[in-house]
Amino acid sequence: MGRLRRSRTHKAQRDVHRASRTRARTKDLDQIQADLLPARRALLEAQPIDPDLPGLGQHYCVECARYFESDAALKVHWRGKLHKRRCTRLREPAYTIEEAERAAGLGRETRTRKPEVAMEQDA
Amino acid sequence: MRIEKCYFCSTNVYPGHGSAFVRNDAKVFRFCSSKCNKNFKMKRNPRKVRWTKAFRKAAGKEMIVDSTFEFEKRRNVPVRYDRELMATTLKAMKRIGEIRQRRERAFFKNRMAVAKEKTLSAKRRKLALRKEKDERIAAEMAASAAEAEQEMSTELVAPVEKAETIKIKRKVLVPATRKRSALVKGEGKSMGMDID
Repeated sequence: MGRLRRSRTHKAQRDVHRASRTRARTKDLDQIQADLLPARRALLEAQPIDPDLPGLGQHYCVECARYFESDAALKVHWRGKLHKRRCTRLREPAYTIEEAERAAGLGRETRTRKPEVAMEQDA
Repeated sequence: MRIEKCYFCSTNVYPGHGSAFVRNDAKVFRFCSSKCNKNFKMKRNPRKVRWTKAFRKAAGKEMIVDSTFEFEKRRNVPVRYDRELMATTLKAMKRIGEIRQRRERAFFKNRMAVAKEKTLSAKRRKLALRKEKDERIAAEMAASAAEAEQEMSTELVAPVEKAETIKIKRKVLVPATRKRSALVKGEGKSMGMDID
């Protein structure tokens, strides 16, 4: 007998795969923590008008790295659970490559160079 | 060629192994296996995943501060090849490895000793609570028995007191005995491999 069921029915699975593509990658926590610095934050919150972004890129939540359609939507988002959860997660320092290396026992050499001492030479 | 460290689990990644992800800010994330890569894609925090080195260090399960960690470093200044230097370095690596192993063992033992003390004290507390409860019940029963005795005098047997014991599991070395086969050998008719 042939195939009884149509293929390509796993729509949810397809969506999961699409969301995990590099193209759809969202910002990592360490990047967002860099954005939270006052100078960066001011820049991100006052962006030039971009017709490709939601709401012309005028309503941006820095913590969640997300654009909103309107000011009202952004304010509702600030009250929400997702935003609050993200804020608590951002409070502790993000995991970095340096930390992974430190955990493995691999240090970094600091740049301080000692003044060169003349080698002792045998007479 | 460099031996890199996995971003997620911090194991060694040898040249030609694993995979790397380069983020759009030019940071290179290296992974030892697809398992680590997938966990990274899921945006998990390695500090909260129990099988990673980062977790073990953050949770105080492994040594963090030790002088043996001062040797392995990412050095960006190349060293001119010197046969003697290479020989002494190799020797030092072995020696440092030995020392670290011993210290890690000592650290583990120390950690386990604390844990043991903790479980023992918990057991003792539990036992004390149970004993207290038993005594209270015994007192209540005695009181009710005394009331009953006033009505109809019958003799009571005093409750037997239990000796306080704490069960402690301890590892005991058992001398190795040679295993004896349960097979019965055929007398001259077995299908052995030996040839006359």
